[in-house]
Amino acid sequence: MRALFRGFRGRALLVAAVVALTAAPAAGCGPGGGDPAGRTVLTVGLFGSFGYEEAGLYDAYTRLHPDVVIKQTSIQRNENYYPQLLTHLVSDSGLADVQAVEAINIAEVTATQADRLEDLGRAPGVRRADFLPWKWRQATTRDGRTVGLGTDIGPQAVCYRKDLFARAGLPTDRDAVGRLWAGDWRRYLGTGKRYRDRAPAGTSFVDSASGVLSAITGGSARRYYDEDGTVVYKSNPAVREAWDIAAAFATEGLTARLQQFTPSWDQAYANGTFATVSCPAWMLGYIEDKAGPAAEDVWDVAAAPRPANWGGSFLVVPKSGRHRAEAARLAAWLTAPAQQARLFERRGSFPSASAAHALPAVAGARHPYFGDAPIGRIFTRAARGVPVTILGPKDLVIAQNLADVGMLQVDQRGRRPEDGWDAAVRTIDNALDL
Amino acid sequence: MLSGTTAPVSGPRAERTARRGRTHRWAARWSPYAYLAPFFVFFAAFGLFPLLYTGWASLHRVELTAPTDMEWVGLRNYSRLLTDEFFWNALRNTVTIGLMSTVPQLLMALGIAHLLHHRLRGSTFFRVVALTPYATSVAAATLVFVLLFGRDFGLVNWALGLAGADPVDWQNGRWTSQFAVSTIVIWRWTGYNALIYLAALQAVPGELYESAALDGASRWRQFAHVTVPSLRPTILFTCVVSTIGATQLFGEPLLFNGSAGATGGSDHQFQTLGLYLYEQGWVNLHLGRASAIAWAMFLILLLAGAVVALAGAYRRRTG
Amino acid sequence: MRQRARAGVLTYAALIVLTVVSLFPLVWTAVAASGSNGRLARTPPPLWFGDDLPENLAAAWTDAAMGTALLNTTIVAGTVAAGTVLFSTLAGFAFAKLRFRFKDLLLLLVVGTMMVPPQLSVVPLFMLVAELSWTDRLQSVVLPALVSGFGVFFMRQYLVTALPTELVEAARVDGASGPRVMWHVVFPAARPAMAVLAMLTFVMSWNDFFWPIIALTQSNPTVQVALTGLGRGYIPDQSVIMAGALLGTLPLLLVFVVFGRRIVGGIMQGAVKG
Repeated sequence: MRALFRGFRGRALLVAAVVALTAAPAAGCGPGGGDPAGRTVLTVGLFGSFGYEEAGLYDAYTRLHPDVVIKQTSIQRNENYYPQLLTHLVSDSGLADVQAVEAINIAEVTATQADRLEDLGRAPGVRRADFLPWKWRQATTRDGRTVGLGTDIGPQAVCYRKDLFARAGLPTDRDAVGRLWAGDWRRYLGTGKRYRDRAPAGTSFVDSASGVLSAITGGSARRYYDEDGTVVYKSNPAVREAWDIAAAFATEGLTARLQQFTPSWDQAYANGTFATVSCPAWMLGYIEDKAGPAAEDVWDVAAAPRPANWGGSFLVVPKSGRHRAEAARLAAWLTAPAQQARLFERRGSFPSASAAHALPAVAGARHPYFGDAPIGRIFTRAARGVPVTILGPKDLVIAQNLADVGMLQVDQRGRRPEDGWDAAVRTIDNALDL
Repeated sequence: MLSGTTAPVSGPRAERTARRGRTHRWAARWSPYAYLAPFFVFFAAFGLFPLLYTGWASLHRVELTAPTDMEWVGLRNYSRLLTDEFFWNALRNTVTIGLMSTVPQLLMALGIAHLLHHRLRGSTFFRVVALTPYATSVAAATLVFVLLFGRDFGLVNWALGLAGADPVDWQNGRWTSQFAVSTIVIWRWTGYNALIYLAALQAVPGELYESAALDGASRWRQFAHVTVPSLRPTILFTCVVSTIGATQLFGEPLLFNGSAGATGGSDHQFQTLGLYLYEQGWVNLHLGRASAIAWAMFLILLLAGAVVALAGAYRRRTG
Repeated sequence: MRQRARAGVLTYAALIVLTVVSLFPLVWTAVAASGSNGRLARTPPPLWFGDDLPENLAAAWTDAAMGTALLNTTIVAGTVAAGTVLFSTLAGFAFAKLRFRFKDLLLLLVVGTMMVPPQLSVVPLFMLVAELSWTDRLQSVVLPALVSGFGVFFMRQYLVTALPTELVEAARVDGASGPRVMWHVVFPAARPAMAVLAMLTFVMSWNDFFWPIIALTQSNPTVQVALTGLGRGYIPDQSVIMAGALLGTLPLLLVFVVFGRRIVGGIMQGAVKG
């Protein structure tokens, strides 16, 4: 970056001079390296809802390290956060000491920004054996540097409404429900058809076809890329099969024709207009919040047809930070099994540290809102079966266009599945082509 | 199109003393640049530099993940736009949304300015009210309109239902979605343009109306023959600004799409050029291609400007 | 100046419609911010306030660190408005009333700056800001905003008609210096437009989002940047987000109401007594 600017230095100086006159009042409030008491200020830059602060983890850490103060910044949406993070990374400027990266972006960050990130694999306090091997590998470069430490993962279950199931003549017990579709997403489709035939008025079996698509593709090892890093989604039978099944939900009229994470989706939770949704562990809190107190003990959690993963995150430490060693120590502590277990207990973020899975806070966890469901047992089992998915740098673009262009056309605009697929492929081809 | 009714100030007044005349001439020659200097210094750093950088980047293959790794590709980023269905789709949408939002907006603004120009009780109140939508950020406004235009639980569909109409899937139809996006634009910008017209109305010399009234011109003729000609520079101004704004329309269609990124709907039915540029640059991370789209937008605007200017010149010549 | 026509009943009726249409979405924002999430999903949608408005406003206030954000935004928007008005009036005057080489070309360049899509300038701008070590400092959002082709164009179009050329010429002939001409002739004539431009620029700067979110972080945010963090630590709560949107807009409306008379007064004076 700096090299690029050699030619512009003169102009920059000129600008700086003019600026000093006009912007004097604005200057001097930049970020500092220490607070008045001489403690080290570590900044943590996050997106969405990690809940470190709410779970008391920062307080706990500063009790252990009284010489440290932690400040957190957060941007709710990853669509805003990730471009900002990339811009800051490539200019070595404006970064927090610790930054979060979503799983769908981690391959790209690892492939293109590794030189700007600390190798946390060698940081003190980090034990490789604590983590799920596949999670560890996702943030490791080809030459063996691990630039990100896993926070949570998103093992999936299916959340369902007991009241609607009962009215449709389906079982309501979570084990019996799980058996309805165990082993095959097509059986989930079949259950949907049974539901449709006796569906309570104004309700659908599932929220969206895109949700089903995400859930199924999260369960195959080879998804959009193969081992050599080639884009294979078009010819990959696993993706096509997932597409066909998900599209069948739309063409059979089993969906509420919603788009996930939109206000309409939230409102549909509040009104209970769909009976099931594929839910990774981190979504439980979302459902609880959107469905509200009125739906307490109405929703429940059953095992998904097949183990699958959706989402999860990493922490990285940029090299341009002022306190790299302290930042690495903090990142290591935040992702250590005990802290991950605590976060699962408080927020439902399922630990990527396998060493945490056996801890009572995880293994024995139950969720009162979801009929006291043994979520520790359900998600631990799901996590154990999750295949090692091959990630690629453009996973986000591929997944998003399959869901929000292709499948959404089928689901909401009534296009034929082949047409939706073609539309998605055209958009993705355009997006991947440099 | 931009030269209006300028008249020179530096006309010679020979009867002044020679010394003063020299100073005058010197000042007349150089002072314009002194007036322009502050603007252009900042412009060089924060306007021209990004523009040139963008132009340079548009001739390269360059990704946001490594903006300094540039690979020369010549005009390829431009030539591929010719066959890029998404670019043409976005261009079409930009034009239709632009027309749907700009034309009613400016007409209504003119009308509102006319209303506000009356002697009013509570004129301050109405002016503040007219500017309220503009004070609302794009994000806040779009957030509200997304809820209002909701398919299942939106207020608009509920009201339609009361009137006996079927609910409309605003977001999924090409025209309905473009209508909804235009509504947000119109809501936010009409009062703003009205205020600009109002400021110009205040500057119209009263004698013009008086003499028109003496000639027996009706209210409407006064409006057509005094108000509109007096406002011509301002109307031109708002047209240019609105057209540029419409060409760059971005925030509303982005946020109208909820969480689904920059696709502008599942069928790209309300993806504008600004949004497509954003998708290429910030989602697909292709800085070079995004830069080419930006420059294409820039050139299209210049072309449109040239056409308007030529048409104006032609009309003046043929009288 | 002519006595303007007194408003009739129809005028008032039309203005009341304008009031309702203008205010409804904002009032409804407050309605949405005054209840729980579930309330928004009801049929019919809520049309009147719920009980949780203070609670949601408080949540948004603490959650988004609104205190710092409001102070910062006031500094930023104030500086940007003042600077833009000054620079634009100077340049606009030159374009409207003076003769110099390359005038049309330069004016075209100014209008051209408006045509550069802001989404793209962000990358080179950020490189510049990073090079100057301004990341997270307020000048990073103040200075680029001073380049307002819009402002120059606006003042130019206004002054072309509002400032009689003879006035400038007469002052010059009387031997007034450049600054004196500016102060005693141009500024008074330009005042209505300057007031409008100041207000428009202030609002635009206040609501600017796309560039600030890249240049600033939440350790030193403006209001719009702070709002992107809303819902931090919880599930994004539509009501709290709405409350935040309201908090971000209300100060601006307050400024309008408090200074409205003065700003409008500036417009009313119409310095050009033809």
